[in-house]
Amino acid sequence: MTGVPYMMECRGVWKIYNEGRPHEVRALVDINIAVRKGSLTVLTGPSGSGKTTLVGIMGTIERPSRGRVYLEGREITGFSDVALSMIRRERTGLVFQNFNLLPGVPAWENVAYPLIPQGVREGERRRRAVELLSALGLAARVDHPPEELSGGEQQRVAIARALVNDPDMIILDEPTSNIDAGTALQVLEILKGLKREGKTLILSTHDSDLFGEADEIYRLKGGVLEGGG
Amino acid sequence: MKTLNLLLTAAANVMRQRLRTFVVIICLIVILLPFLTATAIQEGVKEQALLSVSEGADVYVTMDMYGRNGMIPVEMAGEIEKIEGVTKAVPRVISRIYIEGRLAVLLGLPLAELEEKVGFIKGSAPGEGETVIGRGLADALGLDVGGSIGLGVRVTAIVDHRPYIERRIYRISGIFDSAGIWTSDLVLVDIEDAISIYEMEGFVSDIAVYVRPGYERSVTEEIQKINSYFRIQTKALAERYMEQGFNRKGGVFVSLYVMALGLAIPTILVLSGFGLSERRREVGILKATGWQTQEVLEMVFFENIIIAVIGASLALLLSYIWVRVLNGLLIAQIFIAEVGNVAPFKVPALFTPMPFVLSFILALVLTMTGSIYSTWRTSIVPPAEAMR
Repeated sequence: MTGVPYMMECRGVWKIYNEGRPHEVRALVDINIAVRKGSLTVLTGPSGSGKTTLVGIMGTIERPSRGRVYLEGREITGFSDVALSMIRRERTGLVFQNFNLLPGVPAWENVAYPLIPQGVREGERRRRAVELLSALGLAARVDHPPEELSGGEQQRVAIARALVNDPDMIILDEPTSNIDAGTALQVLEILKGLKREGKTLILSTHDSDLFGEADEIYRLKGGVLEGGG
Repeated sequence: MKTLNLLLTAAANVMRQRLRTFVVIICLIVILLPFLTATAIQEGVKEQALLSVSEGADVYVTMDMYGRNGMIPVEMAGEIEKIEGVTKAVPRVISRIYIEGRLAVLLGLPLAELEEKVGFIKGSAPGEGETVIGRGLADALGLDVGGSIGLGVRVTAIVDHRPYIERRIYRISGIFDSAGIWTSDLVLVDIEDAISIYEMEGFVSDIAVYVRPGYERSVTEEIQKINSYFRIQTKALAERYMEQGFNRKGGVFVSLYVMALGLAIPTILVLSGFGLSERRREVGILKATGWQTQEVLEMVFFENIIIAVIGASLALLLSYIWVRVLNGLLIAQIFIAEVGNVAPFKVPALFTPMPFVLSFILALVLTMTGSIYSTWRTSIVPPAEAMR
């Protein structure tokens, strides 16, 4: 326990790919980050600085090589696959840089996919998905698969999917990198709305327009946090 | 509800990944179709053979000739008929015969016995110098009722050590109208004609003995007492030989099939991994959005069940068409002797539930082997890695 009511905390986190091999890559080096509940935390830095890797570790889809990760003061570093899946199901929503939507699956089904193993009936799944998509301006696109959607629309479908379980924390990886400026503004508005609802937001971005809304900004370079975290 | 959700999602996935589904189902059909068809034909032929044995005589008597079945004096029929419990003893001549290069079976029975066969015949039962032939033979040689057929030859004279040979010509009095496997290439004549054709005066191939219920054992013992060189074959023994014969043929087929399967399995494993990188990414997405490994595996399991059911059912349907419409083209010859690529009679077939169940299990094992392990391996790595 850390004793501080942080939503998410990383202590001395390292991520090393191919450790001990000739092509060893140190993606993250001794990262210390604390994310307060209800805050908007921005991770920024140049390409290859380790932003996506850090977002992955905080989203529990990646395990650190060393160090500890805490969720609401409880260490989750050594959690089992099942326990981490439950965190992703109940506590966090993830939005990926390349959206990671299921091809050939209508937008509403993509949004509702996380509800399938929870035993939610199809009618209810569709109702919740359509409600979210409508709130994000996609009411007319609910039955279209990702291939028929623009980048901005796909981004909003991905955001809706991250929200469908009503998580406390939403983690977004480069949410504006694959969309045009106009759509980026729409995404910014969505993020502001989520923050107003009290959600904890963590996002990695190059986009300085998003910095203004941030409560905390961390800069990464070569896997190292500038200023030592 | 969760299980139903996963089942419906699996069904939707099977439809969505049409190309992969199509390729795997085609592979399953290619593997299962010969198995189902061959098994149905084997069971059908076996059923008919056993039925034929059960409806035939109770005991068959021949003579031992150097350890093989040999001719038996025709008058023995009268001797055997005197034994208590015997209702009838019918002498028979049964042998192979070549007719215009085509192998057929010649059966000679007393005229009185032939009368009983009239119900199966187009035309009439044969009299002296007449014959009834099978539908397959008639079609192959272009013969019909009223035509004639040469059955063997006879030496009419020897002049200066040179035999003068004359063909034995018989009038076709009827044709077996049924398309049955046993009568297709049969040539039925009066027993006296059969004896004459094979020049075995005073002898027959065997004597078919009909016995009252409960007398089989005592009759067998009494027959043996008449002559210790008699070879006696009971109905039970005939059935056992029949079973062994079919099992041997089935065994040969299964051996060949297992070899073919050995080659087919790696193919389907490769093909069921078709689109594996896409599936890997999907599994990563599901795990990242809160699915558990067990739930992912459950869904993939349902997908495989659906594919296996479709594959096995289509294979069964096509097998049925192969047998009923194509008459076991190219495959019937494995189980029916002397049949070419195209059987001249209706190939018997019996579809039993067990081969279908086995086919479904095999299909499931094949698809599972190709997908469950790779899905499980993908599910247990961190989702970020699976999605990369």
